[in-house]
Amino acid sequence: MKQFKLIFILAALMGLGACQSKVEYGDATEVETVNENFGSSDLQAIAAKMVDSMLVYPPVAAMTANSRPIIFVDRVKNKTSEHIDTESVTDSISNKLLRSGRFRFIDMTKVDTVRKQLDYQNNAGMVDPSTAIKFGRQIGAQYMLYGNLSSIVKQDGSTKDVYYKMTMRLMDLETGLIEWSDEKEIRKMKSKSFLGL
Amino acid sequence: MTRAPLLLASFSLALCLCGCAANSIFINYPAQLTSVKQRLNGADSQAVAARLADKIPGQDGLLYAQEAGRVAQINGDFGASKDYYQQAVAAYQAFDDKAKISLSAIGATGSSLLLNDNAIPYRGPGYERIMLHQYQALNYLFSGDPQGALVEVRRSNELQSSEQARYQASQASVQAMANGTIDAEVSRLGQAAGTVTSSFLNAYSYYTTGVLHELLGEANDAFIDYRKAAQITPDNPYLQQDLVRLAKQLQMPQYEEFKRRWGDASPPGPQQGQLIMMLERGFVPEKQSLTVPFTLHGNWQTVSLATYLPNRTPVAPARVQGLGSVLKLAPIANIDALAITALKESLPAALVRQVARVYAKSEMNRQVDKHGNGTGGDIAGIAMQLFNIVTEQADRRSWLTLPRQAQLARRFLDAGNYDLSLDNARAQIAVQPGRSTLVWAIDTGNVTRFYTIII
Repeated sequence: MKQFKLIFILAALMGLGACQSKVEYGDATEVETVNENFGSSDLQAIAAKMVDSMLVYPPVAAMTANSRPIIFVDRVKNKTSEHIDTESVTDSISNKLLRSGRFRFIDMTKVDTVRKQLDYQNNAGMVDPSTAIKFGRQIGAQYMLYGNLSSIVKQDGSTKDVYYKMTMRLMDLETGLIEWSDEKEIRKMKSKSFLGL
Repeated sequence: MTRAPLLLASFSLALCLCGCAANSIFINYPAQLTSVKQRLNGADSQAVAARLADKIPGQDGLLYAQEAGRVAQINGDFGASKDYYQQAVAAYQAFDDKAKISLSAIGATGSSLLLNDNAIPYRGPGYERIMLHQYQALNYLFSGDPQGALVEVRRSNELQSSEQARYQASQASVQAMANGTIDAEVSRLGQAAGTVTSSFLNAYSYYTTGVLHELLGEANDAFIDYRKAAQITPDNPYLQQDLVRLAKQLQMPQYEEFKRRWGDASPPGPQQGQLIMMLERGFVPEKQSLTVPFTLHGNWQTVSLATYLPNRTPVAPARVQGLGSVLKLAPIANIDALAITALKESLPAALVRQVARVYAKSEMNRQVDKHGNGTGGDIAGIAMQLFNIVTEQADRRSWLTLPRQAQLARRFLDAGNYDLSLDNARAQIAVQPGRSTLVWAIDTGNVTRFYTIII
């Protein structure tokens, strides 16, 4: 009887111990499969594929051989049925492209802030005019990078299939020609567990 | 003698435990929501949503999240509403992700066999889940995030298509349920709801997603949604005109046919803008309980099933003044018919649980009778019967702050400011050339609230 009690107490303690929540650091590039929603692994896979594809594409390589073309990134249109931060996807892509040393970027999300700052430098009367940065000296972008993220979701009983397709294009703003285009497909399947809580 | 008190003790324990978890077990859900609806119908309704939101962590969190989101939305607090709806969406997803054989679901069904169906965590019927995404899309739109609105529209479309598939599959099973008393109840509900498609599928959801698609520049998707809405509610003149107009704009092959049936669409003038008006009227009816007492082995038992009362006074189409000629709105969907159909579909399963529960309770009674003797045994027997009768409550939970009927109207107007009046309510709207003014009006009975956005 006494042993039973002991075993019971031990089991209870173990049960309680298992319930304790804990925090751990993980690898940021580890494959994440918490659920079937768009996640960090998808973002990384898309960014890696797009950047590699663009850098090795011969016309783009020729274009960047002697100069560093200036690109501005238009937003990626979210056409999926999930709320996805597409700015974060374009950030990753532009980051990698910039770090490759072959392109330069213009950040269109900061135009208003820059305008306010230049307005302050030139018109507030607080800044030494000889050091104030003049309006109209910025350099125009030559290329536009844009894209679409779409998804097809199918669900039947215990199976859910999610398919993502990211399409990106690089347009020459002067000629309107698409200089480069590629897509990345991701398919994820989820089947329900048979037994669980 | 020893077993009777033990039994009683264990059941009072079960009662206490479940009483803490879900308060719909003893106080029926419509009674809890009565004061909420009354306050929504008055001027002072700001704190109501937060009070409902306090119950979201509980067992019926999904239901309270839906109610809190809707209450906040009716009050025009779209940000808070978005958060509450998000919690409801997460709760639905948790249901989706549950294992096929889920221990917690078995546990809930087990306690429902001892108490009543309110012990099972609430999971709304298909139309509630679609309306959740439809309303969430409007939240995103009115808080200035059209891309987010389209995401919700797509989620709603996905659910709509799965609901459509389910409806096609369940048509046979809905008709095949033949079950004595329940059969009469089901056929009575069938008469109340009407047996047409409009009681299974929600044209209002299709229309709302269509409007959002159209306003946000996806005319082709809008055309598809309008067509589905028109299949469900074929006699709405505004919807017919929308179809003709879009078929013409998109050069669809159906244009000639639509034009012949409903007349050609007149294009807007160069200085004209579009007014789209969606009006929601009243509250969806509450479930009532149908209780039948009877004796089994000499002990009193009851069965309680949820039902809807046959009283269905028609909702009057609204007339809007102040736009030149009177704008008469036309109904697009009756939410009450959807609610009745959803209940009808859930009754067979409820009946199976009911039979199992009557059996379980009557066995408990017999155990008490067999092992009890003397006064103590009598008291235990009477207590058991009281327990049976008190715990036998119909499952009357449903999303009660939904409207009863949705109506719509659309008209091209010269640009300018207009003073709308609808019954006693007034609102100011602006119409800009080449743009659309979406007016979403919610009439809760005494109060009509207007929300306007120009896109």
